[in-house]
Amino acid sequence: MAIIEISTLQKSFGSNEVLKNISFEVNKNEVVAVIGASGSGKSTMLRSIVHLEKVDGGSIQIDGQNLVKDGHYPKIKTIKEITAKTGMVFQHFNLFPHLSVKENLEIAPKLVKKTTKEELDKRSRDILQKVGLSDKLHAQPGSLSGGQKQRVAIARALMMDPDILLFDEPTSALDPEVTGEVLKVMRDLAEENMTMIVVTHEMGFAREVADRVVFMDGGEIIESGRPEEFFTNPQHARTKAFLSKNLN
Amino acid sequence: MSFDYFITVLKPMLHGAQMTLLLFFITIIVSIPLGFLVMLAQKNSFKPLSWLAHIFVYIMRGTPLLLQLIIVCFGLPMLPGIGEHLVLDRFTAASIAFILNYAAYFAEIFRGGILAIDKGQYEAAQVLGLNKFQTTVKIVIPQMFRIALPALANESITLMKDTALIYAVAVPEILHYAQTAVNRDLNFFPLVIAGAIYLLLTAVLTLIFKLLEKKYAFE
Repeated sequence: MAIIEISTLQKSFGSNEVLKNISFEVNKNEVVAVIGASGSGKSTMLRSIVHLEKVDGGSIQIDGQNLVKDGHYPKIKTIKEITAKTGMVFQHFNLFPHLSVKENLEIAPKLVKKTTKEELDKRSRDILQKVGLSDKLHAQPGSLSGGQKQRVAIARALMMDPDILLFDEPTSALDPEVTGEVLKVMRDLAEENMTMIVVTHEMGFAREVADRVVFMDGGEIIESGRPEEFFTNPQHARTKAFLSKNLN
Repeated sequence: MSFDYFITVLKPMLHGAQMTLLLFFITIIVSIPLGFLVMLAQKNSFKPLSWLAHIFVYIMRGTPLLLQLIIVCFGLPMLPGIGEHLVLDRFTAASIAFILNYAAYFAEIFRGGILAIDKGQYEAAQVLGLNKFQTTVKIVIPQMFRIALPALANESITLMKDTALIYAVAVPEILHYAQTAVNRDLNFFPLVIAGAIYLLLTAVLTLIFKLLEKKYAFE
């Protein structure tokens, strides 16, 4: 069943229409890869799901609740309740540089969920182990490599126990040799049935891990489908053009 | 020049240095929090408060500290009607002028610090569910202070030297005693000692801020 339902989403920055009637659904436990050139609207679409962007029209329903309906938003308290189900991982990690890895992980559950110290301690260790960074518990973000920072960022999002994880080009700021370690963590999450939307340029990841690939261009969804069909037999001319440019 | 002469000249200057340090610390301790409040007022969505804070900063930065000092010491008591209630002892008056002036500079330094914080920090905090207050206290202010440290160091060193301006309103500090000795003995040397004392004080400040920068480095 659909955990995210997006219908006729519209958004403009001035006269630039970045989202033109975007509609799609994401099912529970599904991994959706969103691909497309820069400026295609994919990041804006993703950011609107966590209310980092306000849309001008259309609806977003998360787990049956309206984050926005026909362009109208509910009270901020309701918005916060709805977006609390969703975690996000950014291209540039956005770790808090003045806090240690442990503090980065614990700050949100401590302040927002009032989790006890013992529980926080256990949870941060468990989750850090999951992303393979047990030895970095007390490190400062500035001393980590890009791949390690992104894994900490994923761990930080997981600390809030989200139902849905959004990734906004999680490997685009990384050196090629460390993208693998981040993709591995994401693959593990997919295997644990985390619902994920991944905006990415990693065609290999989209092909191997995603249940569905969505191609966006010029603020519209041009084509979507199961990865094997999508990559071997694209239907639309714009998809073909994009894929021929991006698959070697 | 004998060692005895050196001691004779140095003694009153060290006494003056106490005044210098007292003014320095009073100004730092009051103007940093005050500057922070002025910055908050500048950023406040209540427009009249924001304008008032901007006007305050504009006046304090736009006029010489020496003029402000003279106004508080000698000008205010001349105001018709209320002047007689504004007669302060010189040191208190000087402290007020310094605090107000430096609060304006610190407000600008803090504003710059906040502007330098990446917008991704706010986005991460929002997505994690932190409210505006939590974001400000836990994410923004600590980073603002860290970013502002080098500028705070610079401003503090300037303040240490600016304390010499109270010479103009006849509060006896380092320069006052140096000048007295120069006039009395027709000797250039006391000015060298004065310079050396300032260098020593600013060296200590530089060291303290270097340590702070290291302690709070983002690494």
